[in-house]
Amino acid sequence: MFHFNPQTVKKLQRFRQIKRGYYSFLALAGLLVLLIFGELLVNSRALIVSFEGELYFPTYAAFHPGTDFGLDYSYETNYRELKHQFASQGGDNWVLMPLVPYNPYENHAPGGIFTPLPPSTEMQHYLGTDTTSRDILARLFYGTRIALLFSLVFMASVYLIGISIGCAMGYFGGVFDLVFQRIIEIWSNIPFLYMVIIVFSVIPGSVSLPLRIAILLIVMVLFSWTGMTYYMRTETYKEKSRDYIAAARIIGASNSRIIFRHIMPNILSTLVTFMPFTIVGAISSITALDFLGFGLPVPTSSLGELLKQGTANLRTAPWIVISAFSTLVALLTLVTFIGEAIRESFDPKIFSIYQ
Amino acid sequence: MQVSRNTFWAGCLSVLLLAGCGDSSEPKSQEPSKDVMTEVTAFYAANPDFFGFKTETDIPPNLIWEDGAEQPEIGSPKATKGGARYRRMQDFPRTLRTAGPDSNGSFRAYLLDDVGMTLAKPHPQTGEMYPGLAQAWAVDKPNKTVYMKLDPRATYSDGTPITADDYMFMFWFYRSPYISDPWYNSNYSTRFTNITRYSDHMISISLPQAKPDMTYFATSVRPIPRHHYKEMGEDFSDRYQWQFEPTPGPYIIKAEDIRKGRSIALTRLENWWAKDLKFYRHRFNMDRVQFNVIRDTAKAFEAFKRGDIDQFGLGLAEYWYEKLSDNAPDVEAGYIKKAVFYNQRPRPPFGLWINTARPLLDNLELRQGIAHATNWQLVIDQFFRGDSSRLHDSNDGFGEFSHPTLKGRAFEIEQALQYFAAAGFSQRGPDGILINATGERLSFTLSTGYASMKDVLTILKQEAAKAGLEFRIEVLDGTASWKKTQEKKHDISFVAFGRFLEMYPRFWEHYHSFNAYDTAFLEDGSINPQRKLKTQTNNLESFAIPEMDQLIEQYRASEDKQEMIELAHRMIELHHDYASFVPGFYQGFFRLGYWRWLHYPEEFSYKHASGPGELFVEWIDTAAKQQTLDAKKAGEKFETSITIYDQWAE
Repeated sequence: MFHFNPQTVKKLQRFRQIKRGYYSFLALAGLLVLLIFGELLVNSRALIVSFEGELYFPTYAAFHPGTDFGLDYSYETNYRELKHQFASQGGDNWVLMPLVPYNPYENHAPGGIFTPLPPSTEMQHYLGTDTTSRDILARLFYGTRIALLFSLVFMASVYLIGISIGCAMGYFGGVFDLVFQRIIEIWSNIPFLYMVIIVFSVIPGSVSLPLRIAILLIVMVLFSWTGMTYYMRTETYKEKSRDYIAAARIIGASNSRIIFRHIMPNILSTLVTFMPFTIVGAISSITALDFLGFGLPVPTSSLGELLKQGTANLRTAPWIVISAFSTLVALLTLVTFIGEAIRESFDPKIFSIYQ
Repeated sequence: MQVSRNTFWAGCLSVLLLAGCGDSSEPKSQEPSKDVMTEVTAFYAANPDFFGFKTETDIPPNLIWEDGAEQPEIGSPKATKGGARYRRMQDFPRTLRTAGPDSNGSFRAYLLDDVGMTLAKPHPQTGEMYPGLAQAWAVDKPNKTVYMKLDPRATYSDGTPITADDYMFMFWFYRSPYISDPWYNSNYSTRFTNITRYSDHMISISLPQAKPDMTYFATSVRPIPRHHYKEMGEDFSDRYQWQFEPTPGPYIIKAEDIRKGRSIALTRLENWWAKDLKFYRHRFNMDRVQFNVIRDTAKAFEAFKRGDIDQFGLGLAEYWYEKLSDNAPDVEAGYIKKAVFYNQRPRPPFGLWINTARPLLDNLELRQGIAHATNWQLVIDQFFRGDSSRLHDSNDGFGEFSHPTLKGRAFEIEQALQYFAAAGFSQRGPDGILINATGERLSFTLSTGYASMKDVLTILKQEAAKAGLEFRIEVLDGTASWKKTQEKKHDISFVAFGRFLEMYPRFWEHYHSFNAYDTAFLEDGSINPQRKLKTQTNNLESFAIPEMDQLIEQYRASEDKQEMIELAHRMIELHHDYASFVPGFYQGFFRLGYWRWLHYPEEFSYKHASGPGELFVEWIDTAAKQQTLDAKKAGEKFETSITIYDQWAE
């Protein structure tokens, strides 16, 4: 059974006491859960279709051609139309649609032309549509999901590389440290934005969408891990000279045991306080890249792309920029609140005991 | 117009500015007294067949001279000279050279095409030739030669008279390896066979074939000031990078007006030699035309609404209908006028260029399926709001040369599914995309360099999915996308070529096997199994059919217009049957908003004009500018002006 050490428990309790951060954390966690099961909330596929006495659950299943429900086409059923059709036929068939019955890619132009529509509850476009008549709420929803997941994976990868190399530099020191410091200095001088632009201009289009997103992630990680190493390195240097490390070594503990079982837990607080800000950074940079047109591939939904549309249509469709901007601000504020609370609760000035 | 170079439709090309290009206006280490003319004279002597020297007595006596005097004037007699016009450009020109690396950018129009002068030009209304640097010309069809009397009054902007020697020099210049420009090198060696000097003001130019439009070709050349290029050598590209070449045209660029990365301005020559001539006296009216770099279109639009730039193209529906709608306050109050002008000219072939050298795409049925799975009509109706029209083949707008009846394939899901089934794709996968017996998905990359058109592609993607076809959209930087198609690495490319006002379409560069493979066919006519794709050509479909090759060669050799028309129709049909191009849309007009101090002639523009600025017929009412801005401040109103000029609507 896994037990937190009493100090960590104390820190967590302290975190719970900082209300602003704690509620932000709950809100964000709740949002994340919602986002993960987003297909049940925002989707053009129906939740349940009852047709001829049989129940269908299309959300996560393979696609249903129109012919499955007695329609005359072989492509994916338009469930919104199906719902209207069943309602007008008045039989036993029915369709239960999600809260927002649109997916982020479809162009739904009720007026026959692609133009931004203002928010309308009647059309169920709760935040309106963008310049090509796609539902903004759907695009925001999935855009936020991608941004959040992207930044979580980004953070995990950056920390994995940053911690391993940083700790190794601090622990082994000497030539290893010296060489890596120089490598990092050189590496961190390569302009990140240009690299992204260059890499993206040469990626062949045959690469699938998830892989393209993964490549973007890898490029960003490759140029972001260096900052972390410095903190890890100094922390490790500090811890390494402590008596308990010497003691562990005398007992005969291996290097990896010393690093992972003894040093790591003691520098965890530094690490944890950085996490939220890394996430803020990742969300901002992916949004900025999208805004510039070098981020996620078209037609992936993204906050940056919506912001860009919004600024280009400030006068004619202010609802685009309002919703994108508010989402971004809310998201970043939540994460920042969490970050501040963590920093406060992990602050060694209150809880650490020095010998 | 120059012998027109089939430029990449560069509307939305965004190029990173080359910061810190060295200013090389000062001669470098080479000895300043160098004179290239000895080299030039030696070249003339070495190519006696190309460069002829004769006397006026050698001119055939029975020539029929034409001077285009019967053509209507261009511009309005109401036009007044003066004022400054402010325009927007997206990128600063990368060079002021007119040949060599980077010289084929969009600013070229203001150095040569729209502002420079050639011997004669096609009239924007009638399509017949009107005089420029030549006073008169005569065609000797049997000898494939056009004779030209040069206007003795013509001078360069620095005062140097223009003589026959400048035309001789031009051929040396364009064929010279110094300019590092293979397109000019090959064009001026193969498309002309001879230039002969008879006197200071009399030349003749010969062509390989006496095509129906040979006058246009022979008179499309321009003189090159040999005194300016006296020091030409290996360092041509650097030495002349930012030097403005003396021009026979009305506008010059002063060194102090080149503010790199920010703005550049044309200044009108007070004593331009052609200022009182019939076809020029009402044109080129502004004293100064300043181009400011504004990269972002949304920002440029705001600058226009402030009056910082005088005019803004409203081609996109969202600008015409929403951002500057008919009841926008500035339009209603008459400060900004709106105009649509319908024109007739070769249309840029916007559509899907399918690379038939790619796996699966070499299958005819599959390509036919793709054509039927592409919903252009929806794009036209919903994205362009019905303003654009469907393109029916890649050579629309060439008058009789375009096919009279052929129609582009319509969006038909059932038909597409049948074709896909015939190509082996009959099962739908879990996501609704078709798969074949080996489990391969019916999925292709659709790449483009037009970021502004990405919405068009997402519409096509959505619709194609209904027919079980997946388009993976790839929006690249303009240059990167062009490079990709030139290297023939695309599956399907959404692109268009710029089209010039020419009599008949070109087939060789797009459809001849010479531009598709190194050796496309074996001697017995069968496909060469070891053939390799040829890169850097405009045959983007890797189109190679022996029958087409033969028709193209016949077409190139033909000197009979009627025969050429029939051949063109047959080739267009053949191309249609091969289904390697899915024709998209064209805009049969141009439209714009402009401040009321800017004036256009009564008819606004001309039948064959490509845009409002091309002919420089507009003029500025300098007093009205201040009046308008004051009125706007005071809330005074003028008459609303929204005009549709549909006299040439097709």
